[in-house]
This record gives sequence, C-alpha cells and structure tokens, in this order.
Amino acid sequence: MTLLDIVDLEKEFGGLLAVDDLSLSVDRGELVGVMGPNGAGKSTLFNCVSGVVEPTDGTVAFDGEDVTGEQPEVLARRGLVRTFQHTRQLGTMTVRENVRLAAPDQAGERTLPALTRSQGMQETERRVVERADELVEAFELDHLADEYASNLSGGQRKLLELARVLMLDPDLLLLDEPFAGVNPTLTNDIADRIRALNDEGMTVVVIEHELETLTALVDRLVVLTQGSVLVDGDPETVLEDERVVEAYLGE
Amino acid sequence: MSVADRIRDGDGTLAAVAGVAAVVLALLFAVSPFTVGLPGELSVFVEVGVLFGLYVILVLGLDLQYGHTGLVNFGHVVFFAVGAYTAAILAAQDSFAGTSLGYPWPLALVAGVLVAAVVGAVVGATSLRLRDDFLAIATLATAEIFHTVTVNFSGTFGGSTGIFGVPQPVAAVAGDFGKTMLATLVLFLGLAALTYAIVTRLTTAPYGRVLRAIRADELVTRSVGKSTFRYKMQAFVYGAALAGFAGGLFALYNGAVAPSFFTIQVTVTVWIGMLLGGASNHRAVIGGLAVIMGLRLFSRFANDLAPVTSGEFASLRLIVVGMILVLVIRYRPAGIWGDAEELGVDS
Ligand SMILES: Nc1ncnc2c1ncn2[C@@H]1O[C@H](COP(=O)(O)OP(=O)(O)OP(=O)(O)O)[C@@H](O)[C@H]1O
Ligand SMILES: [Mg+2]
Repeated sequence: MTLLDIVDLEKEFGGLLAVDDLSLSVDRGELVGVMGPNGAGKSTLFNCVSGVVEPTDGTVAFDGEDVTGEQPEVLARRGLVRTFQHTRQLGTMTVRENVRLAAPDQAGERTLPALTRSQGMQETERRVVERADELVEAFELDHLADEYASNLSGGQRKLLELARVLMLDPDLLLLDEPFAGVNPTLTNDIADRIRALNDEGMTVVVIEHELETLTALVDRLVVLTQGSVLVDGDPETVLEDERVVEAYLGE
Repeated sequence: MSVADRIRDGDGTLAAVAGVAAVVLALLFAVSPFTVGLPGELSVFVEVGVLFGLYVILVLGLDLQYGHTGLVNFGHVVFFAVGAYTAAILAAQDSFAGTSLGYPWPLALVAGVLVAAVVGAVVGATSLRLRDDFLAIATLATAEIFHTVTVNFSGTFGGSTGIFGVPQPVAAVAGDFGKTMLATLVLFLGLAALTYAIVTRLTTAPYGRVLRAIRADELVTRSVGKSTFRYKMQAFVYGAALAGFAGGLFALYNGAVAPSFFTIQVTVTVWIGMLLGGASNHRAVIGGLAVIMGLRLFSRFANDLAPVTSGEFASLRLIVVGMILVLVIRYRPAGIWGDAEELGVDS
C-alpha cells in the first residue's frame, strides 16, 4: 500500500531546476535510501514533501490524500515528520524541553487548560514527561537532559533531533543525512535505531550520500542526479548500475 | 516535573494569593473610615509606585511577546493608549473636549481591554506572517498613527487637551487624596501581582514551551506540528490586551487622558526595563523595571540638588540611562538577572 506518492514534482529556484519532473512512491513499511551527489536535489525533495517549500509543479500525496503545498505543521500532525540536514535544535531550550515540545495533542498547549491546569492537562503532561524521559534515555542523552541544546556536540544534536521527532510517533519519517558529521560508532548506533524503528512498522526515508552506510541499511535505494531519479531498485542492483558508477565517479 | 518547574509554578501561586490579598486589602481600606495624611515628600514615592504597578502589567505583556515568543513590538504604548482612550471616552462625563459617553466605568474598563486586543489582532494579522522585522515597523507605525489621530481628531479624542471627567472610582470611595493614593498603590500592585501569576502560569505550562520554541526556531516548531502563527497571534493579542487593561486602569486613576501621557517614552521605558532585567524571565523584567523607575525617582531628587535646569537634567538622565544600558549590554547581555543560554546571547 502506497504511503507517499510523488508525481512529476518540480521545484525551480530562480531559473535553477533543483527538482525536475521527479516521481517516486514509497510503500507503507518500507525503508528507502535516497542518495546522489551534492546539489542533486535531495534536500529540496524533502523540503517539498514536508511543506517547507512549495513545489513549482507536481503533486505529493500522503496516505491517499493530496497534500501538495500543505503546511509543515499540518503534515507533522498527520504523521509525516522530517529532520534537517543541518541539525536544527532549539538551542535556548534544554534537551528535555526540546523533546517534550514535540509531543502531539497536548492540552496544556492551549490557553485555558494551561491556566486552569485541569486534571486532564496534568495527566497528559505527566505522560509527555515520562515518554520524553524514556526517549532521552534511549538516546543516551540523560546525562545532558538539563543542558541547553546549544551546548551539544554535532553527534549529540543528531540524536536529540531523532529523539524529538520520535516523540511524534510518525507514520513516515524523513531523515536528511542523519549520519553527517557523526563518528563511525555513533553512525552504526543510529543505523541500528533506524532499522529497529522500521522493524516496528515505521516507514522511513533516509538521505545520505555516503554509499556504504546506506546500502547496508536500506531495502531499496533511489539515486537522484540533477533533480530527477536516475535509478531506483534494491541496493545491489543499483550499485552495479553503470549510470550510478558514472554519476559517482564523475563527481 | 523537575524541581525547577515546581518552584516556578509555586511562585505563580504565591503571587496569585498575594495579589488577591492586596486587592481585597486595598478595597477594604478604601471603604474603611480610616484617614491618612500623606506627607508631601512621600507622595512622590506613592505616585511612582502607582505607575510602577501599571508598568509591571505592560512589561509582563511585552515579555510574553518578546521575551518568550521573540516578537518585536516597538509600539507597546499604543495598546496602553487605546485602552486608556477607550475607557475614557466611554466612561467620561461632560468632558469639555472630545467625546464622553458616560457609561459605567467597569464596562469602560472591559471595553478598553477588548479594543486594545482587537487592535493587537489587526496589527498581528497583517504583519505576523511577514518577515520578522516587519512587526517592529508595523507596531512603531501604529503607535505613531494613533498618536497623530488623537491629536487631530479632536471631536472624538479631545486633541492635545485630551478627555477629562473620567470617573475615578477609588477616589470616589476613599475621599481624601492620601487615602486614595495609598489604596490605589496597593490595588495596582495587587493587580500587577495577579498579572504576574497568570502570565507565569501560562508560560510554565506547555503553552510557554511552544512560545519559547518559536523564539528559538520557528521552522523546527512548525515541523513538530505546532501552528506557530496561531501562537504568535495569541501572544501578541494577550500582550496587547494586558496593555489595554493597564491603560484603562490609568484613565480611571488619573481622571483624564491626553496624548502627552502616551509618548514613545512609555515604550522605551518598558523595553529598557525588560532588557535591563533580562527578557523571558518575568521576575527579572520586573526587577529591571524597578531599577529604571527607581533611577528616575532618584533623579527627581538629584535634580533639586544639581545646579542645572530641569531640561538639562532630563538630557543628563537620558545619558546616564544610555550608559547603564551600554554597560549591561557589554557585560550582561542577557540582562542583570537573565540567563544568557536561555536567551541565546554570548556573554
Ligand atoms: N532555498 C534555495 N534557494 C535557491 N537555491 C536553492 C535553495 N535550496 C536549494 N537550492 C539549490 O538547489 C539545488 C539542490 O539543492 P539540495 O540542497 O536539494 O541538494 P542536495 O542533494 O540536498 O545536496 P547536498 O548533498 O549538498 O545536501 C542546489 O543547486 C542548491 O543550490
Ligand atoms: Mg541536502
């Protein structure tokens, strides 16, 4: 069953076609890798899908509904959540707060329940606190829980971002270079977590331009060049494809 | 809930209790048969104290907007003025300038809050979706426009004379001047404490977390599913409504409103107070306000001793305030009691 269906997507930035007539669909439960040389349009593809930029043309359907140009917050609430290539953390908030923020449907985020501190609101907040602590611990950030996120190292920021998006319990998770700037041990660790999430049923799309990490992780590999899909298939076949070899050697 | 959360929360509850107690005490005192003579030297302190109570309400609204949500409102005075004029026009009786409708004052006070909120909503709706700096310009312009309107549409606003004959409920029950001033002082400080309690309750809840997240990074906040525009609108409107409330109180205390009460000086004072104390920390911004208003009070006395005219002295005072601000920005960029990491400034 198709969860994400991208048809003839196009994004132009002042004459430059960052995404050019790209079509791609992802089934529920898949773990898909997206790779391609610098400037191939990988991040722009994520930006178009997650509502961060509006596509010039084409459609994006999520869970059977057309969501082209929908706002990021609406998509996130529907279960389509993404991370950023250049990790964006809420630097002026603690690690704990970063994670708690992301919990969906919090009564305490509305004025009246926040003021009255109703029973229901307190109950929700207790669950949020508990779940956030679990995630912070699972990502081995507990010793940093009260640290401001701006004080974290690059690798820790990647972990924090993962913990934060998992708070939303997404149906589709888009990860933009979750291994960038992360040491090899942590890379393996993050890869294991991604696989575990996928095993539990989460659909995940991972961008990465390091071949090795990605091929070992995913079931299916999509290679982009110049804004469109060059090859799409299982990792072994894709890696043997002449065009891929060429694209990468030509870099 | 961490210990810090609980302390912050308890703080709000304490302020609520103190606020209610002060309001009740002030009202009881006002209707009591006691009289007090307020010595002349003391009355200036009480006067500044009364204003301080109103300014606390202003700075708390601004701290919700800027300190928490990162919204730059350079026209805070306009919401104060709108609240004051609305209350004055509705409640005043037989003002010789402008319009006076003679409605009951509680109604006028509520209307002052509502109209200020509506003005806030209009300004917010037109500029909050645009680039961040647009709000700064829009608010500054709104304040300027309203000022011009009050001066020129004298049929409604009384021109530079303003509106007189606004009922003064506290004076009406308390009678003599000293008693009125003392009761007003306690009443306004109580209302300021209540405002502090409400705002603290809001910002220590998950609601405040969303506001601080917007200030930190709006795109991240959106991508975890928060409708940031709605929160920005709310924070802006709440701040405007609080300023409107302070304005209404001012009109009903002062008995008159005029453009000269609502200059950019009001905006400057609350901004300096907030930055001096430390934005995003409600207690710190009140502290900063106390410092800046205390300085002004002190300088009134100093003026009597200094061999300069009051005009010269006013400019000297501005220079001193400017220098203090430079020192704070240089050595404590997050404010005297502010947290540099929470504000994201390098110290
Ligand atoms: N907001 C923007 N404005 C203008 N041009 C942009 C914008 N975003 C991306 N581009 C351009 O679009 C092209 C594709 O960029 P994109 O970031 O999607 O590539 P990428 O495949 O993610 O590359 P990388 O591996 O370096 O992350 C690049 O040429 C880039 O300069
Ligand atoms: Mg990229």
